[in-house]
Amino acid sequence: MAVMNPVTQIRNNPAGILGSGGAVLFVLFIGIPVIALLIRAAQQSNFLDAVTGDTALTALRLSLFTSVISMAVVVLLGTPFAYLLARSDRLWVRVVDSLVELPLVLPPVVAGVAMLMAFGRNGLIGSGLESIGLHISFTTTAVVFAQIFVASPFFVRSAKLGFQSVAKDYEDVAQTLGVSPLRTFFRITLPLAAPAMFTGLGVAWARALSEFGATMMFAGNLTGETQTMPLAIMSAMETSLDGALALSVMLLAGSVLLLALLGLLTHPRWQGR
Amino acid sequence: MMENRTIESAAQGWVECRVGDFHLETHWEVLPGEVLVLFGPSGAGKSTTLRAVAGLLRPVKGHVEMGGKVVYDSEGGVWVPTHQRRIGYLTQQYHLFPHLKVSANIAFGLPDRGSPTGRERVSELTSLFQLDGLGERYPWELSGGQQQRVALARALASEPTMLLLDEPFASLDAELRRVLRRELRAMLAQSPVPVMLVTHDREEALALGDSVQVINEGRTLVTGDPLEVLGQPAQGRVARLVGVENLFELTVQERNPRDGTMTCVGPNLQLEVPLDSHIEISPESEDGREPVTVGIRASDIILAKEDLAGSSARNRLPGRVVSVESRSSGYAVTLDCGQHFRCHITGAALEEMGIETGQHLWAVFKASSCFLVNREPEPGSTPGI
Repeated sequence: MAVMNPVTQIRNNPAGILGSGGAVLFVLFIGIPVIALLIRAAQQSNFLDAVTGDTALTALRLSLFTSVISMAVVVLLGTPFAYLLARSDRLWVRVVDSLVELPLVLPPVVAGVAMLMAFGRNGLIGSGLESIGLHISFTTTAVVFAQIFVASPFFVRSAKLGFQSVAKDYEDVAQTLGVSPLRTFFRITLPLAAPAMFTGLGVAWARALSEFGATMMFAGNLTGETQTMPLAIMSAMETSLDGALALSVMLLAGSVLLLALLGLLTHPRWQGR
Repeated sequence: MMENRTIESAAQGWVECRVGDFHLETHWEVLPGEVLVLFGPSGAGKSTTLRAVAGLLRPVKGHVEMGGKVVYDSEGGVWVPTHQRRIGYLTQQYHLFPHLKVSANIAFGLPDRGSPTGRERVSELTSLFQLDGLGERYPWELSGGQQQRVALARALASEPTMLLLDEPFASLDAELRRVLRRELRAMLAQSPVPVMLVTHDREEALALGDSVQVINEGRTLVTGDPLEVLGQPAQGRVARLVGVENLFELTVQERNPRDGTMTCVGPNLQLEVPLDSHIEISPESEDGREPVTVGIRASDIILAKEDLAGSSARNRLPGRVVSVESRSSGYAVTLDCGQHFRCHITGAALEEMGIETGQHLWAVFKASSCFLVNREPEPGSTPGI
C-alpha cells in the first residue's frame, strides 16, 4: 500500500477539498467581523473610560445577575425533566419532547409578545397576578423569564442526550450493589451525563447573555432594572459608537471566557483519549 | 474475612414474566456454593430470569427466596427492591463505572467505603483478585481480564447472598476464559453463595456447572447433571439445542439383554447401542421394529486406518472421508459410513494420520458412547410451585 502524505490525502479526497475550502471561508466570515470589532475598539482613545463607565458596569452587573438566576432555574428544573425525556417511552412524554424545541424555532420577538400576552398587566395570568400585587412584565423578573424561555431548550436537549448515553445497565448494576435509585442517580447517572450537561449549559448561558428580542418586548429597556448588555449596546449606538464598541467587546470577552471554562469541564480525565 | 459473614442459604423460586410478546415461566433451586447453569440459545429467557431474580424486572407472579429471606411473593404482596436484595450481578460487558477508579469501583457498594475498615476490605479484595497496583487506574486503562476481575471483586465486596453471572466470559479470548473459569471456581469455594450463571457455551457449562437447566423459548426443558444433560441429552429438543453432532433415525432389530445392548439398523447402517431405560419399550413392538433416535458426540468417535478387530469397541464402521474442516480447536472430519458421521480430532492426529478427502478410514466407538434421544419432545416442565 502506498504511503500518502497528508497533503496528497486531502487532494485525493473530494470531501477534503470542499471541506478545507469551506473551513477557510467560514473562519474568514466569522473571524473578520470579530477582528474588525476588536481593531475599532482598540482605536478608541476613551475605551477604558467607556468600559468602566456607569452604563456599562450597570448593564454588565444586571446581565450576570439575571443570567445566573435563569441558569440556576434551568439546571434545577431542566435536569429532572431531561432525565424523564431520556428514560420514558410514554406517549405524553414523547409529545412534550417534541414541544421542547419550539422556542428554538420561535423568533425571540414573538416569544416576547407571547409572554406579554400571558404575564403582562392585562395578560391571561398576569391580570390575576397583578391583583395579588405581583408585577412581572417590565421588571427584572421579566428579564429572567425571557432568558429561561429562549435558552432552556439548549440545556434540556443536551442533557437529554447526555442521559441517553448512560446505559441503563450502569444504573441496574449500581442498584444490585445496594445503592438506592435516587443515590444511583447522583453517584452514577449525573456524573456520567455531566459533560453533555456542561456543554448544554455553556450554549444556554451564551444564549441567555445575548438575549435581546424577547427582553425588549417583555421587559423593556430600563437602566439598572431591565437593560442588559445587548440592550445597552443598542441604546449606546444611538448616542456614541465608542460606548457600543466597548460594551460589545466586554460581551464578546465574557461569552468566550464562559465557553472556554465550560469546555474544560466537558472533557474529564476519566474519558481517556 | 468474607467467608464468616456470608449467609449460607439456598436460593430458590419461580417466576412468570412478560416482556412484550415474550412469556417466561421458570423455576430454580441453587444450594450455597453450587453453580446452576442456565443454558440455551440467545433469546431463550436466560438473562430475563436473572433480571427477575435481581428484581430489575417485575414478574407477573412468582416467589423468590434468597439468603433465607422471601424477596418477592405475588400472593403475599412481598416486593423487596433490588438495592435491598444483596445480590452480586455480573453483566457480559461488566459495566465498570467509567468515571471511577478501580478502587472506587470495588468500594462502590460499601456503606463504610470512606472508613479504614472499608479501605481494608478494598485492599483485601484487590490482592485476592490480583489487582495490586491497579487501584488508581480508570476502567479504560485495564485489559479485558482485569476488567472482569474488578467487576467480580465489586460484586463480592458487599457480601452478596447470591451471585448472578450473565455470560461473564463471553467477551474474553479462549485462553483467558479458561484461566478465569478456574479462578471463579476457586473463589466460589471460598465464599459459598448460590450462583446462577447464564451461558450458551457448552464447554463453560460443563466446566462451571454443578447442575444445568436448559431453557428455550421461555420454558425449562430439563434440569440435571451437566454431563448427563449436555453429554447425552435424552430429549430431542435438548439434543439439538446443545448441538449433538450425530443423530440417526434407526429401528431396533435385536435386543441383547445379556450384554445390555441392542442392535439398531437404518439405511446402510447398523449400530450397537445401550439397552437403555431412557426409552419406553411398548409390549406390542416385541417384533423388534421399534423406531429410535441415536445420538453420538463427535468427540467420542475414534478414527483408525485399519479395522480394530481385536478391540472392545462394539461399533467399527468402514467409511470414506467426505470433508475435513478446521474448528476453533482441532478439526472436524466427516466420514461416509453408509450415513455421514462427524468426528472431532486434534490437529496433531490429522497430521500424523495424513487424513485427506477420499481416504478410507474406520470409525470406532463404544456402544456406551451411543445414547438414545426421545423422539417426541416432552412438554416443557411446569414451574415448581
